[in-house]
Amino acid sequence: MKGIRYILVFCLLSFSAAVFTPVKAVERTILVGPKTIGKAWKDNIVLEPRHFADAKAGDILTVYHDRAKGIAQGAFQNPTNWQGVAPEYAYFGIKGPFRMTLTDDILRIAREHGIAIGGHDYRILYVTLSDAADYQETIVWKGTPVQMKADWSASAEIPAQSLKNLREGDALRFHVSKVQAGASLKLMDFTWNAIDPTVDGAPVGGEAFTWYILDNTPLLKIQLAGGGMNTALRVGGTGYRLDKIGIVQFVGTVSGDISQAQRAPKEYVLQPGELFHGEKAFPNDWSGNLRITAAPFQKSTENDVLVISYRIDPAAKAAGVTPQLSLRDGRTWDEITGAAEPVLYTLDGNDVVYLFDATALDAVKTRGFILTGVGFMLTKIELISAQ
Amino acid sequence: MRHGTFLLSFLLLFAGCTQAQEPDVQPATSFELCNKSATAETRQLWSLLCAQYGRNAISGVVANIDWNTREAENVYQWTGHYPAINVFDFINIQASKDVNPSGWLDYSDMTPVTEWHNAGGIVGCMWHWQVLANNGTNYTCTPGTEAGQTSFDASKVSDPSSAEYKQMVKDIDQVAGYLKKMQKLGIPVIWRPLHEAAGNSTEFKGGKAWFWWGAQGAEVYKTLWRFMYDRLVNYHKLNNLIWVWNSQMGDWDWYPGDDVVDVVGRDNYYALQYPLAKEFKTLQAQFPNKIITLAECGNGDEVDMSLWSDIWAEGSRWSWFMTWYDYAYNNGTSDEHQFAGEAWWKDAFNSGVVLDRDEVKGLLK
Repeated sequence: MKGIRYILVFCLLSFSAAVFTPVKAVERTILVGPKTIGKAWKDNIVLEPRHFADAKAGDILTVYHDRAKGIAQGAFQNPTNWQGVAPEYAYFGIKGPFRMTLTDDILRIAREHGIAIGGHDYRILYVTLSDAADYQETIVWKGTPVQMKADWSASAEIPAQSLKNLREGDALRFHVSKVQAGASLKLMDFTWNAIDPTVDGAPVGGEAFTWYILDNTPLLKIQLAGGGMNTALRVGGTGYRLDKIGIVQFVGTVSGDISQAQRAPKEYVLQPGELFHGEKAFPNDWSGNLRITAAPFQKSTENDVLVISYRIDPAAKAAGVTPQLSLRDGRTWDEITGAAEPVLYTLDGNDVVYLFDATALDAVKTRGFILTGVGFMLTKIELISAQ
Repeated sequence: MRHGTFLLSFLLLFAGCTQAQEPDVQPATSFELCNKSATAETRQLWSLLCAQYGRNAISGVVANIDWNTREAENVYQWTGHYPAINVFDFINIQASKDVNPSGWLDYSDMTPVTEWHNAGGIVGCMWHWQVLANNGTNYTCTPGTEAGQTSFDASKVSDPSSAEYKQMVKDIDQVAGYLKKMQKLGIPVIWRPLHEAAGNSTEFKGGKAWFWWGAQGAEVYKTLWRFMYDRLVNYHKLNNLIWVWNSQMGDWDWYPGDDVVDVVGRDNYYALQYPLAKEFKTLQAQFPNKIITLAECGNGDEVDMSLWSDIWAEGSRWSWFMTWYDYAYNNGTSDEHQFAGEAWWKDAFNSGVVLDRDEVKGLLK
C-alpha cells in the first residue's frame, strides 16, 4: 500500500506540473516554399485540408514571403470557387508577413477543401499556423474615434507615451470600422511626413489594419517626437473610422519541425524557348487549364512549333477517362484554329507537336493561348523556333 | 497538330523566315484641325505632329496622378533625356485650392505647366472626371450602385434643368478656367477628355463601360462629347486645344465625328508589338484622315510592354506614346517601375525614331 501511495503522489505531482506549468504555444510550419506568385493572379497554392484538422477558430495563418513588388496583393481563397474565404481576404495589399485569423466559417472551408493562397507579384517562403494566444495585444490608444474623410483631411494624433513599449518585431494593429470601398490608411510622423513608404496610402479592409515594425527606422522617427503627450504618430487616410490601436507582440515559440509540412512543387527556371516547365495536373473534370500570354510569340512565324510534354495520369485511365488536350484562344476560349468546335487531341504518351497555321499563329501572337484537357500531368511546353 | 518529336527535325530543315513589311502611313500634311480658329501656337504644334507622323514617334509621360512632372524627371534620371510631352490630369479638381480651401493641390497655379512649356515641352491634359459617389463623400469615375461608385447619369446632359447638367457645366467651366490660363500664356494643349468610354463593351459579351461617361451608351456619350466641345470651343473660346478621342477598338459608333476630333488614340496595357501593329493598322484604315496615337501604354497585368524598337519594327507608326505613372515607384515603395522603367526608356531613345523634349523644342522654333 505504501508503494501505491508513493505512486499516487507522484502521479498527482506530475498532473499538477502539467496543469500549472504555462504551456508555450507553438507556431508550426505547414508549407515549405518557395512558391512564386507571379503576375496577373495566375498562380496559387492550396494548403491541404489535413493542416486544419485540429485547428480552431482564432488560430492564425501566417504567410512569410519575399520579392514582393510595390503592387503586390495577397488573397486567401476557397479552392472550389476562387472567391475570398471572407470578403476582406479576397485581395489585400501586402508588405510584411500577412496573416489571417481563422473563423468557424473559414475552418469549414479549410477542413473540406483547404485554403488557396493567391494574389500576384510576390514569392511565398513558408506558411505557419499558430495559436491565437501566440499573439498578445495590448490596447494603447482608445481616444475619440476618428472618421477619415474623403479629402484625407482628418487624422488621429497618437501621443508618444502610447507607443513607448513598441519594439522592433512588434506590430501596431489599427482597429477600424465603417470601412468603405477604396479605404486607405496613411501613417505620418510628427512632421506630417509619411513615416514609412509601406503605409503611405495602404489599402484597408476588414476590422483591422496591421503594420509590422520590421526595422528600426520608424521607431527612430517616433522617438524623435520626444515623450509624454507629444504627438509621435499621425493616423490619416480616407474611408474608414479609427477606433483604437494596439501593440501586438509574439509570445509563442517557433517549432523547427517541418516533417509534417506540405512541400511546394519544385520550381524550375524557364530556359530559353520554354513556356512552361514543372508539374501541372489536368484532372478528369476539365477544371485544369494553363494560360500562356502572347509575349513569347511576338517574333514567331509559321515555321515555329510547340512541343507539349506530359505524363498520362494512371488514375484517369483507371477511371475510364481518355486523356485529351485542347488549345484555345487566349481570350475568347474559342478553338485556336478558328474552327467552330473545339478540337480534342487524344494523348498516347508521345510528345504533342503543334504546327501553326496562319489563323492559329495570328491568335497566339495577338492573345496567347489556353491549354486545357483531362487525365494528364503537364510537364513542359517548348516553343521551338525554326529561324 | 501531330504526334511525335521526329517531325521536328524535318520541320526545322525547311524553316524559312518572314520579315515585317514597311508600313504604309499616309502623309499627314493635308490633315486639318477641326477648330478653324485655333491659335497660332496650336497650329504650329499641329504642324509638328503632322510632319513627324509616320517618321518619328514623340515621347510622352503622364504626371504622377495630377499636377506635376514627376514621371518626366524619372525618365531624365534614367536616360539624360526628357520626354517631349507631359500630360496633366484634372482628376482632383474638387481638391483644388481655388475652389476648396482645404484642398491639397492648386490647378490655378500654372507653375508646373509653364515651367514645362518654357523648357520646350509639349503640354497635354486629360481628365479622369470624378463626380460625387453614391456615399455622398467620395469622388469617383466608376459607374454603379455601390456606395463607392456613382449613379451619375450622363444622359442628363440633354436636360438643362437637371442637377447633373448643372454639375457637368460647373465642372467643365472649372477646367475651362485652367485651360484658358494656358491659352493666355500661349500654351497649346493636347486635350484628351472622356477617354476609354466604351470600356470593354465591344471586346466581349458582357463587357461594359468602366467610366460613368460611357455607362449610358454610345449616343449619350457622343452627345456629351459634343456638349463639351461646344462649351469649351464656342462658349469659352478655347482655341488652344488639339482634341484626342480614345478608341477601344471596334467602337466605331462611339466616334463623335470628324468635325470635333483631331487625333484618334488608343490605350493599351497588353502592349505587345504584334497586336499593337494590328491595332494601329485597323485604326488607320478606319480613320484615314486622322493622326493615330498611343495615348496610354505600359506594362500590363499579364505582359510587359514590347520595346519601342520592336514596336516600330513591327510596323506601328503611332504619332506619340504616353507611358503611365507608378505611384509606388515615385514614393519609394517599389524599386521597379510598374509600367515603363529605365531599360524600356533607354531602348526608346536609342531606337533613333523617338523624339525627346530638346528635339521637339528645336523643331518648334
